[in-house]
Amino acid sequence: MNRAFNDRESQKILDIIKNFARKNSLFILAYGTGCGAIEIPPTITSRYDAERFGIRGAATPRQADVLLITGYLSVKTLKRVIRAYEQMQDPKYVMGFGSCTINGGMYWDSYNTIKQLDKYIPVDVYINGCMPRPEAVIAGFVKLQQLIQQGKALGWKHYKENLEWYRQNQQKVIKNWRMPDYNW
Amino acid sequence: MADLQKENLLLEVLKNHFNDKIFDLKVQRHQRVHLRTTTEQIEAVLLYLKEKLGYKHLSHISCVDWIEENRFELVYILWHPEDKINVLVKVDVDRLNPVAPNIDYIWPQANTYEREMREMFGIQFPGLVGRKELILEDWDDLPPMRRDFDTLQYVMENFEFRSGREDAQNVRETIAKRTGEEIPEFAKKYSR
Ligand code: SF4
Repeated sequence: MNRAFNDRESQKILDIIKNFARKNSLFILAYGTGCGAIEIPPTITSRYDAERFGIRGAATPRQADVLLITGYLSVKTLKRVIRAYEQMQDPKYVMGFGSCTINGGMYWDSYNTIKQLDKYIPVDVYINGCMPRPEAVIAGFVKLQQLIQQGKALGWKHYKENLEWYRQNQQKVIKNWRMPDYNW
Repeated sequence: MADLQKENLLLEVLKNHFNDKIFDLKVQRHQRVHLRTTTEQIEAVLLYLKEKLGYKHLSHISCVDWIEENRFELVYILWHPEDKINVLVKVDVDRLNPVAPNIDYIWPQANTYEREMREMFGIQFPGLVGRKELILEDWDDLPPMRRDFDTLQYVMENFEFRSGREDAQNVRETIAKRTGEEIPEFAKKYSR
C-alpha cells in the first residue's frame, strides 16, 4: 500500500484513488477457449476463493474489466475475442493464460491457431504454464493489481494509439474482415 | 471369450444377399464385423443393414487419406443395439475426383459428418444440403486434413513466432532416435 504514495510523482491524487478502487474490484470475463477454462472454476470457487481479492465473474463484455484468454485461440475465435474486447468499457485489461497464448505452446504447428496473442490484442499479464494452476492464476491477478495500482496496466490506451498496427495484424489472419467500427 | 455365433450368422446373411457385390467380409473380433463395397453399392448395403437387419444406429463416418494408393477410404460404423455388433462398411473413393453418395436420407446425422468431410477432405456429396462452412471460416487453401496439405509451411507463412523456441525438437524424430526406430519414407514426408 505504501507504493501508492511513493508513486505520487507519476500519478495525480485522483488516479491513486481511482486505481485503488479499480484494482480491488476486478470483474472478469472468462473467455473459455482451450484447455485452460477448466482452471477457472476452482479459482473462483471456495477452494481458492478469488473473491477475497475482489475478483468475480461478469456476465457480459460491457460489464467486465478483465478479459481472460484461457489457452489457444483459433482464428475463428480470435474474431469473436476482438469483438468482445472492443465492446468492453475502459479501463480494460487482458490476461493471457498458458504457453499457447505466449508462443503457440504445443499447438505451434497448427494451421488454425494464432501463436502470439499480443500481436492481436494488448496483453497486460501473461501467466505461463500448460496449464497454470489456480495459485499461478491468483499470482497473475496480484501482479495485475500491482500494475493497476502503479498506473502501468495501460494496454487499452496502447490499443487505441496503435490501432493501425493491431488492425494490420488482425486482418492478416482474419481473411474475410466483416467487423463493426467503433467510435471510441 | 464369447463365441462368434452372431457375428458368423451375420456374415452368412450378408454373403447370401450380396454375393460378389461386397468383399473382404470378415469377423475382426468379438462384436466387430468388417466388409468392403463400392460407391455404387454403398446405399443398398447400408439400407439393407438398417431396414432388414436392425443396424439402426450410425455411430460415425470417418475418412482415411491413403495418399500413396491415391484413394480416400470412407468408413461407415454401424451399431446394432440388441445384438451388440459393430459393422464397419468401407468404401474407396478416388482421390483426384472424390465423389461419394449422400446418405443423409438414411440417417439425418450423416449430414454433419458429410459436411465435415467436404470441408476437411474436399470430398463431394452430390445433393448435400447445408452451408459450405462447418468448422473453418474463410478457408481458401487446400482442405486441411488432406495429407498433402503442408501444415508447417502454412504456419510459417501465416504466423510469426516469438523468439526462443528455435531449439525445439521434432518429437517424432526424437522418439524414433531414442528407440532406434526407422521412420518410413512416407511418414517423413507427410507427418510430423
Ligand atoms: S497452454 Fe497447454 S493447457 Fe493451455 S491451452 Fe495450450 S495446450 Fe492447453
